[in-house]
Amino acid sequence: MNPLGISFAYTIAATGSDNPISFDLTYFAMIISFLILVWFLKKYAWQPLMDMMEKRRQFIEDNLAHAEQERNDAEKIRLEYQEEMRQARSEAQSIIENATKISEQQATEIIAQARKETERMKESALADIGRERDKAVADVKAQVADMSIAIAEKIIRQKLDMTGQESLIDQFIQEVGDKPC
Amino acid sequence: MHEMILWQVGNSTVHGTTLVMTWITMAVIIIIVLLGVRNLTSGKPGKMQNILEWLVDFIRKLVAENMDYKKGAPLLSYLMTLIMFIFFSNMLGLIPNFVAPLFHNVEFAKLNEIFHGPVLMSPTADINTTMGLATLTIILVVYLGIKHKGASYFRHFIEPNALFLPIHIVDILSKPMTLAFRLFGNIYAGEVLIAVILMLPGLYVFGGVIGPLPIWLGFSIFIGTIQSFVFTVLTIAYVAQAVAHDH
Repeated sequence: MNPLGISFAYTIAATGSDNPISFDLTYFAMIISFLILVWFLKKYAWQPLMDMMEKRRQFIEDNLAHAEQERNDAEKIRLEYQEEMRQARSEAQSIIENATKISEQQATEIIAQARKETERMKESALADIGRERDKAVADVKAQVADMSIAIAEKIIRQKLDMTGQESLIDQFIQEVGDKPC
Repeated sequence: MHEMILWQVGNSTVHGTTLVMTWITMAVIIIIVLLGVRNLTSGKPGKMQNILEWLVDFIRKLVAENMDYKKGAPLLSYLMTLIMFIFFSNMLGLIPNFVAPLFHNVEFAKLNEIFHGPVLMSPTADINTTMGLATLTIILVVYLGIKHKGASYFRHFIEPNALFLPIHIVDILSKPMTLAFRLFGNIYAGEVLIAVILMLPGLYVFGGVIGPLPIWLGFSIFIGTIQSFVFTVLTIAYVAQAVAHDH
């Protein structure tokens, strides 16, 4: 130790007690006092305090774990919804496609039917026309026959008048032409 | 700087001043700590509880940095008490002795002499106190060393060679001595200097606000805080050294 320090301490201490470094029963008294303080504070302060801090730590840990789990659950639900949404969308898509296909098919069918119908109508119309024509031809034939008979009648009636034959035929033809066909 | 008042106990003596000041320190610590744990809650802590929790975390971090935390956890209560006791002891020597008039005429246990003087005394300005605490530290070191390593704890005394035994013995003896004398020296010197400054003529010019006393008191607060921290950290370090597994 620094001799200067020692002499300094002595001059100060000279007013009262002796050497500042002196051991006696205080040493044991201090140890006991301090141990009592440690025991007391441990029992009434540090232990409850640390228990409480531990409890808080536990509480926060639980909360964090809980939050984590909720987050996971939410994520799972989100994925489920997404999946469902996608399914619904594809379903809707397929429904629309189906409907389109069916409608197209129906339109085609309707058009084909219409075509067939017109075809049928045309055929029947043609058949009607043919029939009418046949009837008309038959009529014409009958009339021609009648006319022929009539002509023959006239010719026979005026057989003697040969000079007027040509004008007579013209007249007949004129008559025939006025008849409706 | 205090006159040491001796109490006669049987054939021996005890330092009455030191003991009375120790009990005052203990009372102050108990009151402060009990105020802190009065309304313990795991929710939002109050101011005092917050301070105590900060202290717990501080010590806990020190322990965790120096050793296996599981081995150090049972020490927390001791270390908390240690740092608080040394800190408040160091601060006690800086507090003006405003209770002196109360004990002016009390002859019992020489209380009038104990509370004589301008400031109170730090219990840590007595070598008995610091040596007592250092002894507890070294007992703790040896006890925990044996507890965690069994008889093989003693093997480190002869490592790397039996020739090193004297060095290891000096080592284990010097640890408590350096602990004790470091703390005692710092605080005792601080009190001596306060006593010297108080003897200076013209100290109370400017009301004593500007001058050596406030500066030295401020510095003493700093020293007292540092020394309480150092004592605690060294205790942790010594224990850590004793319980650490060799590689």
